[in-house]
Amino acid sequence: MSRISGVRCGSAPPTCTFFNYQIGLTNFQNSIMITLKNIASLALLIPALAFAAVDGVALLKKIDRNLEPESYESYRKLINIEPNGDKKEFVLYTVKKGKDKMASLFLQPASDKGRSTLRQGDNMWMYLPSVGKPVRITSLQSVTGGVFNNADIMRLEYAVEYDVAAVDESDAKLITLQLKAKTGEVAYDKLTMKVDKKLSLPLEIKAYASSGMLLKTLYFKDIKDFGGGIKRPATIETDSPLYKDFKSVMLYSGLKKRDVPDEVFTQGYMARIEELRK
Amino acid sequence: MKTLLLAAALAAVAASVAAEEFTFDAAEFEKKPFELNGYVEPKLELLGLRGDSAAYRLAYPTEAARATLARSTLTLELEGKANLGDWVFDARAQASQVDDALTSRSNALVVQEGGVRYSAGPGLTLDLGKRVTRWGKGYALTTVGFVERPKDATDPTASREGFVMASVDWTRSLPGSVSAISFTGILLPTDGVTNADFGRTNDLNPAAKLYLLAWDTDIDLMWRGAGAKTEAWGVDFSRNLASNLEVHGEWARQRNATHTAVNANGAVSSTLQDSTAWLVGLRYLTQAEVTWVAEWVHNGNGQTDSEWASYQSFLSTATQPVASAALTAKAQTLALSGMNRPNPGQDYLYVKASASEPWGWVYGSAAVSLMANVQDHSWQITPELGYTGWTGWDMRARLSVLRGAALTEFGEKLASNKLELTTRYSF
Repeated sequence: MSRISGVRCGSAPPTCTFFNYQIGLTNFQNSIMITLKNIASLALLIPALAFAAVDGVALLKKIDRNLEPESYESYRKLINIEPNGDKKEFVLYTVKKGKDKMASLFLQPASDKGRSTLRQGDNMWMYLPSVGKPVRITSLQSVTGGVFNNADIMRLEYAVEYDVAAVDESDAKLITLQLKAKTGEVAYDKLTMKVDKKLSLPLEIKAYASSGMLLKTLYFKDIKDFGGGIKRPATIETDSPLYKDFKSVMLYSGLKKRDVPDEVFTQGYMARIEELRK
Repeated sequence: MKTLLLAAALAAVAASVAAEEFTFDAAEFEKKPFELNGYVEPKLELLGLRGDSAAYRLAYPTEAARATLARSTLTLELEGKANLGDWVFDARAQASQVDDALTSRSNALVVQEGGVRYSAGPGLTLDLGKRVTRWGKGYALTTVGFVERPKDATDPTASREGFVMASVDWTRSLPGSVSAISFTGILLPTDGVTNADFGRTNDLNPAAKLYLLAWDTDIDLMWRGAGAKTEAWGVDFSRNLASNLEVHGEWARQRNATHTAVNANGAVSSTLQDSTAWLVGLRYLTQAEVTWVAEWVHNGNGQTDSEWASYQSFLSTATQPVASAALTAKAQTLALSGMNRPNPGQDYLYVKASASEPWGWVYGSAAVSLMANVQDHSWQITPELGYTGWTGWDMRARLSVLRGAALTEFGEKLASNKLELTTRYSF
């Protein structure tokens, strides 16, 4: 008897179906060989079974929680480093609540001080003190110049924005998640996320456009204990083939759990985000 | 051994540089009780003048016609803030010095905005002071700016002076399709001295705005009560149809608005009429990351092309050296009374294409904008370049070209061409 066995994995949500087709009958003498082959097949299937055992969506949610509490405040410094070594720095104060609300305020440089951004799900606004009213913006626009754009600065949660298309844990220390944007509103159509298996924290993320073009790579470094049970990378470095020889770095500080009222995430509050800082 | 020592020293230096590069402590950015910010902005302008135009003779009645004028402007803006718990005191003041071959004037430090705000919570604030309101969704123009000074369509982000007012803001976030609701109530008193630019009657001038974020759409309902100005109400909206496409619109109705027309002989007729104004626009980000803004604006109370031509014809006659002093004085009075306000016409098309970091020029920007008076076919086109690569510095170069037939809006402006070089240092 001859059988073809294997595992076939589909896209989001990650599902795997086993197939085992019988081709024909053989005599009794071959049955031992067949049994051995089946054992071998099963042995080959062990990694695949483990593969299937990883719930990609649950892992992504865990990564989200490990990176940040669902509601928090943080300070971030963005450093754009030009090929000649010149740097430009931005400092942002950020508050996030729940799965879809986020607001950021620029504290530095002086020319950008008071500028704020607000996100409610797919709605995104920018407030410039000189304009004096919130203006709707798109997630792909760059608010700082350089490699980081709105989507990086105003990112909500991976599990909110992406489906898990495939999970690969063939590497002993890494799990690789292939993520597909849930809607066309998300800035990057696909992500390839390399995850530290032990810590459930991302090590590297490659972001692709729907055309398949690599837009940027984010490297997560410098795992730091922020207190309150938050232990995560404090540095994210980014490079992009679109910005050859440029590098951007995002540094985290003061990340802590904080629950602010929903009214903070409204247009009228954009000019007053400073009031949240203590 | 020497090589090893050198390598170790280099490694130590590199490590220290790396450590310096990537150090960040939020404690350095603790909120300060008192803050002082501002900017210094030198600007150089080269104007190509229409020396034979009525606009020139109105601006420089005693000067001979000239074709060019170089002007320098130095602006200082200071902004101070005191954060005292739930109370915030703030002021923004501006001073400038303008010099050219024909005039030299100093504008002393004038408070553009300032007052006190009390926050009873994130959803409730009370405000008293001189404030700039900016209603409407239009980028270049707005039809619902009921309690603000007119926007300069050629420089929509330029700072403006506010009006003295008391206001209350109430906001509530909600679950469901209507996710935010906000109410703003305003009293803008006039008494002949206070807010004289708004009106000179004794009135409280109430105004209100109701904002809703409903079904992912920003919606505002606005109202201004009768007082120094007539009653007006309006509505606007803004919505993202796709991640790269936003549409917006405004509609306003003003009751008993005064419509002034001047014929070629200088006879002034004023009529009261209910008028409607509206604006439709979009913002579109292309795959090449060029942002297009397009707006069509209709102001029912504006000057038709024939009314404007008649007025310009009168100005042309009244400002001639042979004209009587009374006629010239009448022309100047009319110009100061609002006939020469920005964008006086009825229908405008505004289009702007801008690109951040074009041609791989990091921190650079390039844009070109067009403002056209649709009725008289006159227009202004403005290409510009900007650069923000040096911390604290904003640099901008703009060239404005204004064209139109005789007696049209942009064909009769003081300058036919204008080159501006602006550098702003913020601190």
